[in-house]
Amino acid sequence: MKHIFVFDQDKCSACSACMMGCMDQNDIDLAAGDQCYRQTFDNEIPLADGSTYCAYISAACMHCTDAPCITACPVGCLSKDPETGFTVYDNTNCIGCKSCAMACPFGAPRYRASDGKMVKCDGCNERVKHGLQPACVCACSFGALTCVTEDEYKASGSSKGCNFLLEQLALKKK
Amino acid sequence: MKKIAIIGFGGAGYQAAKEARRVDPTATIDVYSDTNIGPYNPMLTTYYVKGAIPYEAMFPFGSLEQIVRDLNLNFFANKPVTGLDPAAKLLKFGDGTTAQYDKILISTGACAVMPPLKGIDLPGVFKMRTAQDAVALKDALDKGEIKSALVIGASWVGIKVVEDMVAYGVPCTLVDGAKWMFYVAAFEETAKRAQKDLERKGVTVACEQMLDHIEQEDNGQLTAVMQNGRRFTADSIAVCIGVRMNVGFLKDSGLEINRGILVDETMRTNYDGIYAAGDCCEAMDTQCKIHRNIGVWLNANKQGKVAGANMAGEHMEFDANVLVNLAHYLDYDFISIGDISTCGPDDDVYEYEDETYYIRAVRSANGIKCINVIGSADSNGLIKNAFVKAVENADADLDIQTRCFLQKKGFPDGFIDFLGGKSVD
Repeated sequence: MKHIFVFDQDKCSACSACMMGCMDQNDIDLAAGDQCYRQTFDNEIPLADGSTYCAYISAACMHCTDAPCITACPVGCLSKDPETGFTVYDNTNCIGCKSCAMACPFGAPRYRASDGKMVKCDGCNERVKHGLQPACVCACSFGALTCVTEDEYKASGSSKGCNFLLEQLALKKK
Repeated sequence: MKKIAIIGFGGAGYQAAKEARRVDPTATIDVYSDTNIGPYNPMLTTYYVKGAIPYEAMFPFGSLEQIVRDLNLNFFANKPVTGLDPAAKLLKFGDGTTAQYDKILISTGACAVMPPLKGIDLPGVFKMRTAQDAVALKDALDKGEIKSALVIGASWVGIKVVEDMVAYGVPCTLVDGAKWMFYVAAFEETAKRAQKDLERKGVTVACEQMLDHIEQEDNGQLTAVMQNGRRFTADSIAVCIGVRMNVGFLKDSGLEINRGILVDETMRTNYDGIYAAGDCCEAMDTQCKIHRNIGVWLNANKQGKVAGANMAGEHMEFDANVLVNLAHYLDYDFISIGDISTCGPDDDVYEYEDETYYIRAVRSANGIKCINVIGSADSNGLIKNAFVKAVENADADLDIQTRCFLQKKGFPDGFIDFLGGKSVD
């Protein structure tokens, strides 16, 4: 069953607990120069009417339905897991060319400091396959970040599924 | 049962076959190739040479046998198509035979240009495009036959051959006929920085050097003699001056051709049922509204997929086709987005430099034109998509996440403003 990350910005306080969960799960070594797959943003954006918009965002791979990184990878490292729908990877042949980064409109791919190979959020694919929630979802205390099945998502009537953001951002014409 | 022919089996041909098979499980799909090997990625040749990947990894879709089996294709190896009657949808072959189809895709790709100059066929002069080219160069390097190298053409291929030479510890000189490196994509200010970095890494760079001919010295070395009389001598010479689209067999066929075959957003040519995709075609450039080949792997694959869907009966369109050049070599990266040739002296220029980035970007009152950035590889997707949005709608603002991301990555507010966003604290 395909899974979908749902992010409710109204419930996010950019506390970064999701990042902590991600770093712990994926053994991300910040001291070695690695970057967390998930990022949080806490920005104040001045609006035209003089007010300020406080943007609290948690973002990682959107697991796009038609993921451009998969098509862009010259060595075929990226693919869709047919069971979960997550965009997963095998970086054995990764050449660190960063074509995936150029294709990704969300800046999701990371490059491991030790060998330059691409790494990214895989939705905690193995956890989800075994009935667990992704680490970032577990760490979120406010219910801002959830991961549901496609059926659950459709039944909820939500429009906050991360992999539907491509269309919301008008990056595709059709 | 629908009969589909695919001429040429690289990335575009493969994706077309895959998509056509998805849409129409019963269609007959015949693939004609002038080789007996499966689809490979020309971009990977230099990575194979330097040992970053094994030979098999140049074939990202797996073995030919597996592909043919999985997609239920009829693969005709070493059977080039020599002519086409597009109105009759008829393929012609060298032995005088013909074959008729309902839909035909031309995905014959491109080949490296070797100018007809004296000495161009001397042993030790090579090009870099095919898997065979890569095997030959790697073999020569592994045997220690190349102790010095000259690379002609500061192109996206040329710079990767330079990287191979550096990886093997081979002293290397890079020459180009243009005024500066990456001339068709880089502003002079960008190119000077790239050249300085290359020279710091031990590569000699000489621009405004137009090749006249190549001579063999008594000791077996090769000398490239330039039109200005300057001579560059090395054990081996790589000629990386560009590619030519493989469309010669379509001459006088009636298909509309500039350098490549002209196609619409569905990858259809000027004939019903005849499609083209990949490096042999020219699709509509979103920015300049002209037909242009933007020969990158992503485009070839997307175009093949679009053509395959349409041939099999499902409507699909190719879009967001803007000029993009990414050079990533020797721990250095440079991206150019947009058509640099549209920039003029009256345009507004944004320039910024710090220890991480060099940015030079140009826009006029009518909108964004071209962006050069050095050091932004991790963020190139966001920048490119911001560019596409700005081209498609000059009043488009950046989405909040893009703004936040770019700021976190250390891009200056001025650049974020330039891309269409507002300054953030």
